[in-house]
Formats: sequence, C-alpha cells, structure tokens
Amino acid sequence: MNNSTLLRVDKRDARLVMAHMYVAFAALAIGGLMGLLQVFVRSGRFELPANIGYYQVLTVHGVMLGLVFTTFFILGFQAAAVSRTSGTFTAKQRLTSWIGFWIMLLGTVMSATMILLNEATVLYTFYAPLQAHWIFYLGLTFIVVGSWFVIFAHMAKYAQWRKENKGESSPLLTYMVVANSLMWFVATLGVAAEVLLQLLPWSLGFIERVDVAITRTLFWYFGHALVYFWLLPAYMAWYVVIPKVIGGKIFSDSLARLSFILFLLFSIPVGIHHQLTEPGITEFWKFVQVVLTFMVIIPSLMTAFSMFATFELRGRELGGKGLFGWFHKLPWGDARFTVPFIGMAAFIPAGAGGIINASHQMNQVIHNTIWVTGHFHLTVATTVLLTFFGIAYWLIPHLTGRVLTPQMNKLAIIQAFTWAFGMTIMSGAMHWAGLLGAPRRSSYSTYGDAAQAMEWIPYQIAQAVGGTILFLGIIFVLIIFVNLCWFAPKGDEEFPIGEVDKDAEQTPKILENWKVWITVLVALILVAYAVPIMDIINGGPLGSKGFKLW
Amino acid sequence: MASGKRNHKLQEEEQSLKGTLYAVFGIGIFVIASWFAVFSIFTDRF
Repeated sequence: MNNSTLLRVDKRDARLVMAHMYVAFAALAIGGLMGLLQVFVRSGRFELPANIGYYQVLTVHGVMLGLVFTTFFILGFQAAAVSRTSGTFTAKQRLTSWIGFWIMLLGTVMSATMILLNEATVLYTFYAPLQAHWIFYLGLTFIVVGSWFVIFAHMAKYAQWRKENKGESSPLLTYMVVANSLMWFVATLGVAAEVLLQLLPWSLGFIERVDVAITRTLFWYFGHALVYFWLLPAYMAWYVVIPKVIGGKIFSDSLARLSFILFLLFSIPVGIHHQLTEPGITEFWKFVQVVLTFMVIIPSLMTAFSMFATFELRGRELGGKGLFGWFHKLPWGDARFTVPFIGMAAFIPAGAGGIINASHQMNQVIHNTIWVTGHFHLTVATTVLLTFFGIAYWLIPHLTGRVLTPQMNKLAIIQAFTWAFGMTIMSGAMHWAGLLGAPRRSSYSTYGDAAQAMEWIPYQIAQAVGGTILFLGIIFVLIIFVNLCWFAPKGDEEFPIGEVDKDAEQTPKILENWKVWITVLVALILVAYAVPIMDIINGGPLGSKGFKLW
Repeated sequence: MASGKRNHKLQEEEQSLKGTLYAVFGIGIFVIASWFAVFSIFTDRF
C-alpha cells in the first residue's frame, strides 16, 4: 500500500463510487419532483393530470428517496471510505462491487417500471394485503441481493487490512462501514424472508393467502434498522470527517466505536415499536421492544456529547472564551461544515419526536397521523440528507478531480438554509396537523366537510408552501452536483479524515471482537422476536388474499 | 510563578468542556419538555 492510495481514492474505485452517485442523484431528482406533486395535491388546490394517482406518486417518492437514493449514496460513500482509509480494492473486490451495483440497478429498473405502469401502488412500506405485481417484489429482492455483494466486497477489504496489520486497530472509518454493513445484512434477512417466502409466491399465485401480521413484523424487523442504515453514514461523517474540516481532532476513537456497536445491537430488535397498535402482538413483547428502543438514546446522546466536545475544544483553541464563545469561532463559511451542522441541529427535534413515537401507549396520539411523516422528514430528509449533501460537496470533486469553487460553496450554504426554512414550515405543519388527527398516506379530502378535517386544511396549505421551498432546494443541489461532476475547475479536493488526539487512550481490543458483538446481537434478536413470531404463527388467522385498490 | 499560573489557567480554559455539558443538558431538557407536552395531550384524550 503506497501513500498515494491513502490520500486519494484510486481512479478505478472512484469510477465505481461515481456510478452509485449518478443513480442516487437521478433518484433524488425524480423523488423530489414527486414530493412536490404530493404536497400540491394535499393542499386541495391542484389535481394530477392524465389519471395519475396520488398513491402512485407517493410510492415513487418513497421508493426513489427512501430506498434508491439512500442505498446507492450510502454504498457509494462506504466504498470511497474503505478505499480511502484501508487502501484500494483488489480486482476481485472491485468486480464484486460492480456485480452488486448492476444487480441493484436492474432491481431498481424493474421496481420503478412496475410503479410507473401503476402495477405496484402499494406505498413505500409495501404493506400486505395490498398486492403489487411480482416483478416489483423481484426487483426489490435484486436491490437487497445486489447490496449484499457490495457490502461483502467492503468487508473483504477490511478482513484483508486486518490480516496485513495484525494486532493494530483498524481505520475508524472502515470499522464504522463494517458495523453498518453487518447491521444491514442482518436486518435485510427479515425483508428477504418477507419477500421470498410470502410476497413473491403470493403475487405469483403460488399461494393464495399471506399472514399479514407476519409480513408486517418481518418488514419492521428490517424497517427500523433501515433508519439506522441511513443515519450511521451521517454519523461517520460527523465523527471522522467534520473534526478534520474544522481543524480539530476526533474527541475519542473508543467512544465513536462503542456508539457504533450500540447502534448495531439496538437497531434491529426494536421493530415492533412501529406496530404498537397492531393486534396479535401481546403488550408484554411490545413493552420489551419499547425498552430496547430506548437504549438507542444512549449512543445518540454519546454522539451529541462527542460532537459538542469536538466543536468546543476547537473553538477554544481558536480563542473562544466563556460558556459558548467557542461557537462563533467555528468555520461557518465552509459548506462542508455548515450544511451537516444544520442536519445535526435538526436531529434534536427529530430525536425528541422519535422518543414520543416509541413511548408505547402514547404512540396512540400520533399513530398513522401525518406527525409521523413530519418526523421522518426531519430525521432522514433533513439530518441524513443535509449530511449527505455536505459529504457530496467534497467527495464528488475529490472523485472527479475537480474543486468546490467559492460560488458553489456559497450556493451550498444557501441550499442548506433554504432546506431548513422549507422543512421547518412543512415538517412543523405536519407535526401540528398530526396532533390534530390528520392522517398520513391519504389524498386530499374534506371527509364530508367534517369540522375536524376542516381544521387540517390550513396546515396542508402550509405543507405545500414548505414543499415548494424544498423543491427549490433540490434544484440548487442538482445544480451543484452537475457542476461538480462536469463543469467545476480541475484540481485536488481533499477527502478529510480526522485524527485522534495524540494523548488519547488505546482503543480497547474488545470493540473489534465481532464474534462477541454478533453473538450478543443474535441473542437480543431471539429474545425480542422468537416468542412474538411464534405467537403470531400459532394464533394467526386464515390469512389474506391480495387487494389492488388503485 | 505568576506566569506559570496564568499558563495553567489558559490551558484549563482551552480544555474546558463546560459548554458541551450545558448544551447536552439543554438537549435533554428539550426532549423531556416535548415528551411531557405530548403526554399531556395523551392524558387528556385517553
């Protein structure tokens, strides 16, 4: 491994990463446009032309942004992170990644085609008994299987690094990629089981009925971990990249690794907190998973502490005095810092909302209301998305051999403030309307001019205003993306990797003993899921035939 | 001696994490306040 591979991502790896980015940003453009159409329809002032259905548009929005944009961006970023910190991929590892990429792309085309043909308007969570065309489910299977190829290649690089550097602590960023990949693999086993054993044979007509509770339980076994699969790459940037961008040090290598291990352990055995109103699961098991969900608060607050500590130490080093004087010393003119910082700030109300959602009986206040939509537009569509944009602003020019110009840097900061403004209006209105009972996943209706439904309308108009501002934000980010891919001046943009303070303690070896953590993870999953799933199977009704209501 | 003391104080100031402590407390208070706000709606309705 020579030094240049440590500083720059190899050109062959860069091509691989950029292939992921092109798909991700194309999905962002399509998904963003669909979001705009949705808020217009829900305002009651606009109707979709040419018999296009609201729920079809909703499905495209959710699948394109929640699955395609995120998965392609994350796997691309993780490939770059591994290549940069553990050295360039071998030919075999790179080929495995490319095979995975093409399988995912084929799956995306299959699923997207069926959605566009209006054969798969089953909403983003593809809940049974709504039944899509079998090609949609097969396409989703391809996306998952393709992602396995990609993460196996990343983990193979990690294994190779450890073999070549026996006894040493692995590069922090690669370690984080491995933790996230492991979590993704274990979580996707649930959705793979749902699709392969239930939805696919059911949509092909091989079986007539499916047990709806089992499909939903398997979906959420995967679905909540999916949220952390989105979030952990953002945390990678916060822990490792941001300290370098601001000129500081990583607060603690051990704390960062421990928080990733806790996320690995507590992201999966918690899916039932999405099913707190679901019949067929006993209150006891719901309560167990609520407690496990609350465990995630620990690494979240550890991350908050670690980030503030990094900022404060750097700000004081630059001369900041008093309790919060250091805050002003941070590099607010640098988009690589400011854009993800706004994302971090959004995580405070987002996290508070998440705790409310998961609070067992209290979930009844907000269940299936548009509050939930407002919540995940703060988590994934602000915290995660703005951090990903912040990553793209240095990663893409690094890979294309270009630089982020001062003009684009300025536009990036304007983009982030535009996003924050639009989201405050849209997500704020969604939260309030949700508390007033407005349902999610539903087209415009006055429900026979019911007094309660009339209360929601001003908030729906506010959502349309906020959504329009957000779409403007999408246009800004696409301008920056195109500029960084093809038009920005040639040059060297740094891939920032933070360093741990030289006085830091040695990282405990146990944190890299995956056998221990995988055993604990499997034990937790068995404790949380074995009995509820057995109960559902034993006490399950006849099952449901498929419905196509669109 | 006096300058040594001043340096020590300066170093202490540079390594202080007081702001971090208050900021994390602030987040905790925000989380608890939001939770109780929705809890009061819950107790009113159910």
